[in-house]
Amino acid sequence: MEFAIISTLNGVTYGLLLFMVSAGLTLIFGMMGVLNFAHASFYMLGAYVAYAVSSIFGFWTGILVAPIVVGLVGMAVERFLLPRVHAHGHAHELLLTFGLALIIEELIKLFFGDFPVNYQMPEALRFSAFEIFGTGYPFYRMFIGAVAVIMFTVLWLLLTRTRTGIVVRAAERLPQMAEALGHNIPIVFMFVFGTGAALAGLAGAVAGAFYPTNPNMGIELGVIVFVVVVVGGLGSLKGSLVASLLIGLFSSFAVGLDWSIAGMFDVVGLGDWARSVGGLLTLELSSVSATIPFALMLIVLLVRPAGLMGERN
Amino acid sequence: MTSIQKILLALLLVLLIAVPPFLGLGWQNALINVLISSLFALAFNLLNGQAGLLSFGHAAYFGVGAFAALHLMIAVEDGLFFPTPLLPLAGGLAGLVVGVVAGYFSTMRSGVYFALVTLAIAELFHSLAPHLEGTFGGEAGVSSMRMPWMGLGFGTIIEVYYLTLGWVVLCGLALWAYTRTPFGRLTLALRDNEQRVKFLGYNAHYAKVIVFAVSAMMTGVAGALLAISNETANYSLFSGSVSAQVVLQTFVGGSTVFFGPVIGATVFTLFSFLISDLTRSWLFYQGLIFVLVMLYAPTGIGGVIGHHIRNRRQLDLAKIGGPYLVALGGGILIAAGTVFLTESAEVLFGQDYAMARDGASGGFPAYDLFGLSWSPLNPVTWLVPLVLLCGGVFILIRARRVIDRLWARKDEATTADMTVGAGGKE
Amino acid sequence: MNEITSQTPALQLSDVSKSFGPIDVLQGLNLDIRPGERHAVIGPNGAGKSTLFNLISGMFAPSSGDIRLEGNSIGGLSPHLINRAGLARSFQITNIFHRMTVFENLRIGVMARHQVRYGLFRSAAGMRRVNDETADVLNRVGLEARAQSMAGDLTYSEQRALEIGMTLTTGADVILLDEPTAGMSREETAKAAELIRKVTEGKTLLMVEHDMSVVFSLCDRVSVLVYGRILATDTPERISANREVQEAYLGQEGAQ
Repeated sequence: MEFAIISTLNGVTYGLLLFMVSAGLTLIFGMMGVLNFAHASFYMLGAYVAYAVSSIFGFWTGILVAPIVVGLVGMAVERFLLPRVHAHGHAHELLLTFGLALIIEELIKLFFGDFPVNYQMPEALRFSAFEIFGTGYPFYRMFIGAVAVIMFTVLWLLLTRTRTGIVVRAAERLPQMAEALGHNIPIVFMFVFGTGAALAGLAGAVAGAFYPTNPNMGIELGVIVFVVVVVGGLGSLKGSLVASLLIGLFSSFAVGLDWSIAGMFDVVGLGDWARSVGGLLTLELSSVSATIPFALMLIVLLVRPAGLMGERN
Repeated sequence: MTSIQKILLALLLVLLIAVPPFLGLGWQNALINVLISSLFALAFNLLNGQAGLLSFGHAAYFGVGAFAALHLMIAVEDGLFFPTPLLPLAGGLAGLVVGVVAGYFSTMRSGVYFALVTLAIAELFHSLAPHLEGTFGGEAGVSSMRMPWMGLGFGTIIEVYYLTLGWVVLCGLALWAYTRTPFGRLTLALRDNEQRVKFLGYNAHYAKVIVFAVSAMMTGVAGALLAISNETANYSLFSGSVSAQVVLQTFVGGSTVFFGPVIGATVFTLFSFLISDLTRSWLFYQGLIFVLVMLYAPTGIGGVIGHHIRNRRQLDLAKIGGPYLVALGGGILIAAGTVFLTESAEVLFGQDYAMARDGASGGFPAYDLFGLSWSPLNPVTWLVPLVLLCGGVFILIRARRVIDRLWARKDEATTADMTVGAGGKE
Repeated sequence: MNEITSQTPALQLSDVSKSFGPIDVLQGLNLDIRPGERHAVIGPNGAGKSTLFNLISGMFAPSSGDIRLEGNSIGGLSPHLINRAGLARSFQITNIFHRMTVFENLRIGVMARHQVRYGLFRSAAGMRRVNDETADVLNRVGLEARAQSMAGDLTYSEQRALEIGMTLTTGADVILLDEPTAGMSREETAKAAELIRKVTEGKTLLMVEHDMSVVFSLCDRVSVLVYGRILATDTPERISANREVQEAYLGQEGAQ
């Protein structure tokens, strides 16, 4: 019971973090058809900017400045770099952002070194939110989840309740039509790209103070986020929310379970045989928790090739 | 292939056979790596350039090929009879089998989805391999020894080099032949218009799985060659950086030209051999080169060369050669400025410099770069790269204007030729 | 075993419906195409003509009902299986291999017919019969002079001819042409109609066509599709005399 509740809480917070990053990716893809490979690098950039700023001006300034800086970087990428390769198709846009991801990672290494930096939450936030089964549950995990929820409420309100939001959604469906109606679509695109990047930057700034901040954090989270969008269906915000939570929960439960295929064979009395074979059969779930998302993706591809909520291919 | 191309290829082959015995061990080893990455890039580009399927996870098949070869080598050590020169067959077979399964999944989707699924499959291997002691040897990996066969010891690097050369040439030719087969033509059709292929009676998914599997098989051979050369491999072969390398090399070399990827693989591998001791920022420069190629020459080095060869009759080399040299000079200035800034950053933000600052009680002591001493607080230190960059950009822009004009004149000349019929040369 | 007699329709749709979500595009469609006949489907925009072709050729599966090709059910099969069963289609928006030569465009289809679909161990240039047959189709659609041009470099009407040629290559007996003369000048249209008549000799033809002159000169029978239903099927003369059709379609067209 204790395990189930703790794992659920951890899974949901991790899932919400995934959603913070995958939402921007999904929004940008839905509108422009650009799969931004550097999106997870924006997440990493957010963490490092927040680290650099917070070491001088304090934690909260860092949290505030990071999304702004990352958002501006995103806008610059959309404004100055993407148009140059647009004529060569979406594959080249993907490749360009892929190259940018490599450059960002190497720049981070250049300025901050190969090893994790000491980016920490302030002492004031380092307390237990509540006691559960005799151990304290860190408040900061709840804080990450809360930031994600607030961010989405705001984003959702912006998209559904404001004029700009309606233009954004119109541009997502029919960009030429929206442009013909007199909206400045290039500016809208630039802002959406910037907002998506800023969301990733904010996620990095918030999560970097809890999880390790190192030059691999971008690609490590990036692959999981890509799995999220494949499982959820690219372009579907709802799909990426469901997939984020699903993968968050699967991962956090897997960490604590020592199930193995050999264990399943025990039920039919073949456990000893399976153990003698070894290899994959005796691998414990907990040790392969990093593999779970990828296995889940393959299963979803078999059952629903378009993703859980996706229709477009 | 035209006869000129055939002669050039034959010449290259003669050089590759005749020169290496006279080179040092370091160069022999570097050439082995050039050959292996060339085959890897060619195999990758079968999928990418011919079928239009961009894979971000080819490390999986490279790694699988390497481990398969190593396991066979261990079996040979234990007394199994198997000719050492045929070891890459194990890599090819393993790549083929894994490629069929992975291809089945990944080609269910196309476009960016395909790229993401291939990436995720490679990560699956990368995350699983350290936990599978028996197959991938855990974190330490698997090691073995090349065993002698029929009087060939395979103890020296030059023997391994010739083995590698033989296999790479063989597989390269096979990949070339592939483009001439009916299925090779169908592969191009798939890239152009998958939907129409379906309506002409082909099972497009089935066809894509075959292309994927052939590409994975050749990648597996390349991985096996690496394993034979290194006699060891660990799970890091599955890492994203291996997949990224082949993407970079292929596109910088040129994915639209059959031998383009070989150019990219050669340039990058030789560069990393020559300068990876000098700088830790080699990966940064690689990324920068890749992005610049994507922005300004999306067809890559091979594509640009091909463009010039196609237009060689209409181009006045004597006239355009000068501006090209000027442009090259501008490019070198920009490169020098960029390298100066990057290397300075590497020093100033490095741990050694932090210690030096502690020694100088918080000041900014001078640092050594390119045999000179630079002070971070002296404006001259930053004026140098600034002048290099600005000067380079200025020269490049001016030269480009002239080059564009010459190319435009060439186009005019051709149209004039066509209208007048027998137009003179300018 | 199906006994194929002259009574078996080449193509038969029984009570075929298709809906996308809440929208019913086709409702309870019945249509018999006789072997060897040339049959046109006409109707106003949005009547469901393209959807009808997409159902027959396997792009989508019908929501209900049965589609039979020479007596065998093909409803819901994938496009390549329907093609192998003997039905080929062209597309309204030109759908060719732009970066391949005209010859190669046609050869892809001929290869499929000769069961060298996935041949990996022979030379494409050495396949005598396939190449001869490709050259034959090339001549029939009048593109022999452009054989080595990139398909993307052809003029519009040449691309339309190639589009028709590609549907012939797989040797299908039932040919579906989706607006083969769309976007052509009067002259080009007449030429295209002549080409279609020539190349579909002895085959069964079902075409969507807007140009009534083409329909009259080419087709044995016409079906009028309005709002997802077949309003009438008859000879072109009788259709044009049909009051209901005039009101629903021709009148509307004439008013424009």
